[in-house]
Amino acid sequence: MRCRLFLILLAVCSLASMAQENDTLPPNRYTTHGTLFGVGTSNLFDTYLSPVTYKGVHLSFLHETLRKTHWCEGRVSTQSIVDGFLCHTANQANTAKEWGGKVNYSAGWHYNWLIAQRLRLMLGGEIHAGLGIIYNTRNSNNPVQAKAEADLDLSFIAIYPFHIRKKPFTARYQLSAPMIGIMFSPQFGQSYYEMSQGNYDHNVCATHPFNAPSMRHFLTLDFPIAGFTFRAGYLCDIRQSHVNNIKSHVWNHSFMIGYVKHFGFTKRKESRHKSFIM
Amino acid sequence: MRHYVQHIICLLSVIIFTACISEEVPENTPAGNFEALWHIIDTRYCFHSYKTDNGCLDWHQVYDKYRPRISHDMTREQLFEVLCEMLAELRDGHVNLYTSADVGRYWKWHEDYPENFNENLLKYYLGTDYRIAAGIKYRILDDNIGYIRYESFASGMGDGNLDEVMHHLRLCNGLIVDVRNNAGGTLTYAERFTERFTNERRLVGYIAHKTGNGHDDFSSPEPEYINPSNGIRWQKRTVLLTNRSCYSATNTFVRNMKACPNVTVMGDRTGGGSGLPFSSELPNGWSVRFSACPMYDAGMNHIEFGIAPDILTSLSTDDVLRNKDTMIEAARDFLNK
Repeated sequence: MRCRLFLILLAVCSLASMAQENDTLPPNRYTTHGTLFGVGTSNLFDTYLSPVTYKGVHLSFLHETLRKTHWCEGRVSTQSIVDGFLCHTANQANTAKEWGGKVNYSAGWHYNWLIAQRLRLMLGGEIHAGLGIIYNTRNSNNPVQAKAEADLDLSFIAIYPFHIRKKPFTARYQLSAPMIGIMFSPQFGQSYYEMSQGNYDHNVCATHPFNAPSMRHFLTLDFPIAGFTFRAGYLCDIRQSHVNNIKSHVWNHSFMIGYVKHFGFTKRKESRHKSFIM
Repeated sequence: MRHYVQHIICLLSVIIFTACISEEVPENTPAGNFEALWHIIDTRYCFHSYKTDNGCLDWHQVYDKYRPRISHDMTREQLFEVLCEMLAELRDGHVNLYTSADVGRYWKWHEDYPENFNENLLKYYLGTDYRIAAGIKYRILDDNIGYIRYESFASGMGDGNLDEVMHHLRLCNGLIVDVRNNAGGTLTYAERFTERFTNERRLVGYIAHKTGNGHDDFSSPEPEYINPSNGIRWQKRTVLLTNRSCYSATNTFVRNMKACPNVTVMGDRTGGGSGLPFSSELPNGWSVRFSACPMYDAGMNHIEFGIAPDILTSLSTDDVLRNKDTMIEAARDFLNK
């Protein structure tokens, strides 16, 4: 299975390399920074802690850096994202609470094509790592579930710039999905006390779309106000796993708002606009 | 090639977009909560096979016995009563059902046996000027025997406390460690205390955990060792006083101490409780605690139903009337011989 997934990634990358189109942007070092803060709903489920689902709200943040490279005549861009959330949830009967939090970092490389004059499609891969925790406030020796994972993701981005009353807007959608990775998980009934004694039992598990079908949708709209560029977005982060006979999911839906900054070596307005459409 | 990749991407999309990892939870009805509780214990409780082999549990028979008592119009109190009765079939003090109004419990592990402890007698041994180091009360008795009273492993105890205690008692001829009525607490404190009674690394037992839903799905038992403390260690004879109310972490402490040299366990059998408890919950929000990780002694024997003392002693009613604690007196005699 691991071999197959590797071949899939390889095939996708090969296809991207083969597809050469004559829409290359001039090489430059434009960098776009976006910082967003959000609120939303969380849905936590982890059979190590409880067989029931916990629902609540969360606060989240996301910082993104998107940069064009000189590679492949400027067709390759790099993206790094740091994001995180802190949630407070309760069971349906409202008799118990769970706190959850996680920080993710991902670094990605995308190859892009310009389709139909404005629509730009980008396909690539990401390296993702995440570290988090879910804390159940009333459990005895299983109060906590630690979350640690690292994976290789397939990533797709569609960017559509447009103008309204001569003002530049950009709509963007990104889908990322882990293809292969590793994650930490206690064994079905293993206590953290045992692990503190050095007793490990398959606590690092291989993950793939069949045992950890996860994905992230990120939809944003960049819009100018008074010379500044703001960004509004919707982030749907679905993280799931079924390893060591423990089922787990963290479903987050965030509505985010923030600002965007562009850095480059030119001051021309048009180029500034191009910078964040890459 | 392009075709092939498109097919793969389509297949992955179908997997990712349709695979929702979740679980059906029974409805929040009396029947649903009963089924949820029975299933949690069926899949996660760790002593099914041990207790079935001992002839004291058949969880499927338990289902047949209690399921007919569940009806859709029963009150919360009636449901709580039936569920508690069902859990009592496990004969496990680590199994509890928690609601906002009450705690379902099984306490027969000590209620059905002689208490062998009288709190009022302690003042005749500790007096009023005893020392207190964190959770430890201690003093030197008239016959130069050190006496330590440790009431709960939930009370914290640091290495600094233990150094002070051992230093104060260093000139005593022997030591009595009284853990009667200590119903447990934190395992770390039990280990920390035991480390004062050995000069070498010792195998004290094993621990395992469940790896799946089956009654026999267990990991390989992992050995548990006690390492000697870097602080002051006790080198003389020690008597550990126990009774039926020694439970959970105290049961583990007694197991550990039995592996140490110069330690003699006196009193009554301990209450047991060798399963590290986990928690779960029902659709109505009630919390349930149950034994999840079995612990064994150094011979891979279960200690769920307690540990027998090396010397059986009990509290005499006549001695109580004379303000004497028979068990402490027996320990002093033993250490003074």
